[in-house]
Amino acid sequence: MLPLRYSVRSFWVRRSRSALTVGVIALVVLALGLLSGLVSSLKQSLEGAGSPKNLIVLRKGATSDSASSLPLEAFQAVRFFDGIALGADGEPLVSPEFLVQPYSLTRTGERDSVSVRGVEVAAFEVHEELRVAQGRVLAPSAGEAIVGRAVAARYRGAELGGRMELGNSTWAVVGIFEAGGSALESEIWVDARELANDVKRPSPYSSLRVRLAEGTDAGALIRRIEADPRFALAASIESEYYAKQAASADGLYLVVGGLALLAGIGAAFGATNTLYATVQARTREIGTLRALGFSRGAIASSFLLEALLIAIAGFAVGAVLAWLAAAVVSAVIGDISLFATSGVSLVSLRVGLLDLAFALALALAIGVGGALLPALRAARLRPVEALRKG
Amino acid sequence: MKFLPLVLANLRRSPLRSVLTAAAIALAISLVCLLRTMPAGLETILDYAASGTRVVVLNKAGFDYPLPYAYLQKVRALPGVVSAASWTWYGGMFEVEKGVTFPSFATEPEVIAEVFPDFKLTPEKVELFRSHRDGAIIGRATAQSYGWKVGDRIALKGDLYPVDLEFLIVEILPHDLSPILLFHREYLDQALQAAGSGLSTASLFYVRVDDRSRIASLCADIDALFRNSGAQTLTESEKQYFKSMFSALDAFVAITIAVTVLVALCIVFIAANTASLSVRERAGELAVLKAIGFGRRLVFTLLVTEVSVLALVGGAAGALGALGITLGLHGASTSMMPQLGPLGSFVVTRVIMVQGLFLALFIGMISGIVPSYGASRRGVAETMREIF
Repeated sequence: MLPLRYSVRSFWVRRSRSALTVGVIALVVLALGLLSGLVSSLKQSLEGAGSPKNLIVLRKGATSDSASSLPLEAFQAVRFFDGIALGADGEPLVSPEFLVQPYSLTRTGERDSVSVRGVEVAAFEVHEELRVAQGRVLAPSAGEAIVGRAVAARYRGAELGGRMELGNSTWAVVGIFEAGGSALESEIWVDARELANDVKRPSPYSSLRVRLAEGTDAGALIRRIEADPRFALAASIESEYYAKQAASADGLYLVVGGLALLAGIGAAFGATNTLYATVQARTREIGTLRALGFSRGAIASSFLLEALLIAIAGFAVGAVLAWLAAAVVSAVIGDISLFATSGVSLVSLRVGLLDLAFALALALAIGVGGALLPALRAARLRPVEALRKG
Repeated sequence: MKFLPLVLANLRRSPLRSVLTAAAIALAISLVCLLRTMPAGLETILDYAASGTRVVVLNKAGFDYPLPYAYLQKVRALPGVVSAASWTWYGGMFEVEKGVTFPSFATEPEVIAEVFPDFKLTPEKVELFRSHRDGAIIGRATAQSYGWKVGDRIALKGDLYPVDLEFLIVEILPHDLSPILLFHREYLDQALQAAGSGLSTASLFYVRVDDRSRIASLCADIDALFRNSGAQTLTESEKQYFKSMFSALDAFVAITIAVTVLVALCIVFIAANTASLSVRERAGELAVLKAIGFGRRLVFTLLVTEVSVLALVGGAAGALGALGITLGLHGASTSMMPQLGPLGSFVVTRVIMVQGLFLALFIGMISGIVPSYGASRRGVAETMREIF
């Protein structure tokens, strides 16, 4: 085997030639890292919105909050089922919620459908990840709203102390909340009854969120809710419900993957060409090595190693660029609005470890794929001819 | 021209490298060509889906907020309005487990043909629809995916409203982009009255205008009419309405385009890199050429021509490839798989192909000029000494 140092030095000697290939791989890593980061940020924010300790109850057949409506009696009935945790006030932790998507103007004057959730007191105990970061919790029947962190930055009048025009009413923003970066941060919360009055919809609720008591069999409670003959209800564990919503983003991975594949093929061509030139320029050197007794395999693997070094260097540069670009996007543009199954989701672009792992895999594949043919050619050189030719 | 064989021979010297470079350029050009079809393609989809003579009236608060049904009469009375229909979201589910798989709306059968001449309903069909209380018109895509035909009876479960309805399919729309189901407003109203409520609102109005130049003023008139009412309206052209539905995707589209441009750019880098490699390697040979009397300018021209020819071949392959992809999608969407419908609207036009070719030529020249200039200026004696 040729020592590792040989490949490292060879890479370094031809650094200006290798630099372009490194640059190309870095661009590919940048592109893939950013796109994959965007999609996985969206998925994470959706998945983070649900808790395994909660159930979500919808009208049977409704695929999301916004397409569901429940009668008041369903809430009254489900509250007293067994297996539901009790709140600080001794009441069952069942949060009736009402989701509406009115238009709201962004600060730049565009029109979005924003998710407005009507809640009652129980909501703050059931959604335990939610934390009011600035201001205070909304008071019932006072025309007040609290807004998610992402909403506060994007919409007109959504800052603390501002007034938002939503639906037929104007709401005073009294608090800004955080929810661990989840999709809840793209929502506006108001009093459920006030919201129902504003929309003038007959049934005031679209879903129930139920906190399971410690040690409850979730399956049994789900069966009990779904089997109730008075209402057609469907219940699922909240985290599973949101995971299903997040799965709708999987199609975006196809787009990302397709683009990455194209870019990767292009970059592999580049790596191949660079390495071919290297083999050609080093023909005599290779002949000498062979004459000294190094095997074909040793020659081929040293070329592969060199290509991997190029790929890793490209990945390192690209990863830093992607991370910087994500930071710049977050600082300059802020959150990116994406259309998820239930309304606009505001996603803050983060390039995570998994995205970088994808990019690393692609970079290594480019390196190996690009080095294969040149390495074979190097290994096949006949020592005598090679020595004469150079 | 007499040196063309020399140029071609040089390209054949390292066939694999030439092919790889041309392929890389082809990839970049086809990506760019496909991207260039986007704006026109989206516009085509909108033009196809939206008529130029219709406006949409919504509640200013949003789609979830209903419009009072009484507004429809007032809108119909406005000058310039040919006809107006209300649409009310029913959201029926065929299979409850799958939820709402196609939009269903209650409307007025009497005016449907006047408001939607693009549905191409014959007077007999309209009469058939009108005379069946439970009649329904469905979009072709929906009919195909469930295998329904005219005369079939289907039952839908209510999503938003607590009533289940049965329908008789009386007509299938020739319109590709509408998976909708339309039925009698009265039918829904009666069902709701039986359930104890009734229907006094609508989701939106479609209003047909006599003259498309009046659209802007009519939108303003309608909104002015209800400015001081309980529910204010938002009126816009049908095309604008569709556009705003997709505006939430703008950010994602912009990022994808930016990344694709980045990808194309990096492929151009690759081509430039290869070109400069092949020129640098040939330093000795070029010195010989000059020693036997080839002028500097000629050597430079030969080298640039070589790279440009390669780039042009790659560009042509890329443009043709993009054309092939869009033609393939178009063919597939019109014959076997209508669900691809919108994708068939992306067309690589001749202009786009010519632009692609010019871009390829430009890439070739840029990546050829720098190394060739250096190579053609290098001293003959000096190079010879270095090489031999």
